[in-house]
Amino acid sequence: MTALLLNEDQRDCLQEIANVAMGQSADRLARLLDVFVVLSIPNVSILNPNDIVMTLQSLQSLDEGQDKLTGVCQGFIGDGIAGEALLIFNGTDYRDLAQLLKYDDTKENRSEILMDTTNVLGGACLHSLAQQLDTHFSLGPPTLLGEHYDIPELLKKREISWNSALVVEINYTIEDHRVNCDLLLVISENCINGLVQKLNYLLD
Amino acid sequence: MSQDSDLTHFLKDVHWLMDILQNIDVGLVVLDHNYQVSLWNQFMQNHSGKAPERVLNQSLFEVFPDLAEDWFRRKAEPAFILKSAAFTTWEQRPYLFHFPHYRPITGTARFMYQNTTIIPLIDTKNEVSHICLIVYDVTDTAMNKLAQIEANDRLKSLSRVDHLTQLYNRGHWEHCLDQEFKRFARYQTPCSLIMFDIDHFKAVNDTHGHPAGDEVIRMVSQSLRQQLRDTDIGGRYGGEEFGVILTNTDSSGALEFAERLRQQVEATEVPNGSESIKVTISLGVCELSALITNYHEWLAAADTALYHCKENGRNQSFACT
Repeated sequence: MTALLLNEDQRDCLQEIANVAMGQSADRLARLLDVFVVLSIPNVSILNPNDIVMTLQSLQSLDEGQDKLTGVCQGFIGDGIAGEALLIFNGTDYRDLAQLLKYDDTKENRSEILMDTTNVLGGACLHSLAQQLDTHFSLGPPTLLGEHYDIPELLKKREISWNSALVVEINYTIEDHRVNCDLLLVISENCINGLVQKLNYLLD
Repeated sequence: MSQDSDLTHFLKDVHWLMDILQNIDVGLVVLDHNYQVSLWNQFMQNHSGKAPERVLNQSLFEVFPDLAEDWFRRKAEPAFILKSAAFTTWEQRPYLFHFPHYRPITGTARFMYQNTTIIPLIDTKNEVSHICLIVYDVTDTAMNKLAQIEANDRLKSLSRVDHLTQLYNRGHWEHCLDQEFKRFARYQTPCSLIMFDIDHFKAVNDTHGHPAGDEVIRMVSQSLRQQLRDTDIGGRYGGEEFGVILTNTDSSGALEFAERLRQQVEATEVPNGSESIKVTISLGVCELSALITNYHEWLAAADTALYHCKENGRNQSFACT
């Protein structure tokens, strides 16, 4: 590992903020779908591109019969903080999710289902994070992974301008349904200064 | 005096902002919760051909009856309820508003591909009374992407198809054979394989030359393509050797297919200058059974049946048992 991106206090503070953001976004999903969302503790870690590939592969391997990662990514930027939110679906029964979102489970609808869930979960989580940090993020349009992007390939092939990144991993599971997804917020080391400043401000 | 100048500044700012909203090259629409239009910028006006007077304070769905109402409501409701932005992309649905494409020379699409963003507008009571719909023209991006997909598909097919015969080449055909073998192991639906080649093909080449030989191969593969049903998979295995996978077909069905093909080839003449060339083919048939443990064995069994024909006078088909 290269540099320690955050000290212990900053890490704890971010963990706390992620907790709140998770709660708020889960609450929105629960209200929209009228279900219970099981909460877990968000995981804050510092990873290099290889670690991220491995994390994604381990999430993918939970998804039986899927040879490609299923998910959506969405960029966010604001106030010296920038990164990408990846919502990875694993161990999800799309019939269940389609039913909850009141779609017919057809192949065409699958991308709609993924996009809608991302709009709600990713949007709410980032909104809450930004609010707690007293800022506002611009969100880019979400893009489907798998069809156009193969993340392990992208991270392997391209020249990457960073060595380590802050990754906040949040798991959402819907009770009594086979719906499980992981939200990964990836902020690379060169886009983290704004976040460190904001955290210091909160800690003071 | 200073108040006056503040007010002047304020008015100037508002004036600028309004100018920008009007002239920016994206569509801006503000809607209330009944989906009545409160703002309709120049972009929307120009592309829809509908002036603000026609649209403002009207229901969006009444002004645009073709708009996918259910879909759009589903995307927009979360913005009202959850105060979070929502996005739609052209890959989900090519457009929200049907705007004909307007550039006569460089326009390549019939309509404008659109991405949209729906953002909640929060009022002084911290409630979402309106949403703002932002419409982006992504026609060029979409056309590039679609062209790329098409080019990739074409490359894929080029790498699978044999140029001379327009049948699958050996590599792809063998891959299909392996797939069918595995499918049989799982579902046990009957599946048969025919291997055949052109009798005395070397003599054709030696007597009439290689171009004539190519014509013969073309005729045989054309006869094969005429006989193939949708689910059959025909390939050129080697120089004058061909393979056919017949799914859902048992040995006797495959033998019928083989005989039909044999008779057609026998009856077809290949014109070559003033003369014409006639050839025959020999065909070996093998129905897949549980005794066969991999696709190589399956191939070998069909080949054995083919040699049986060769040894018994050619121009015939034979099924191994």
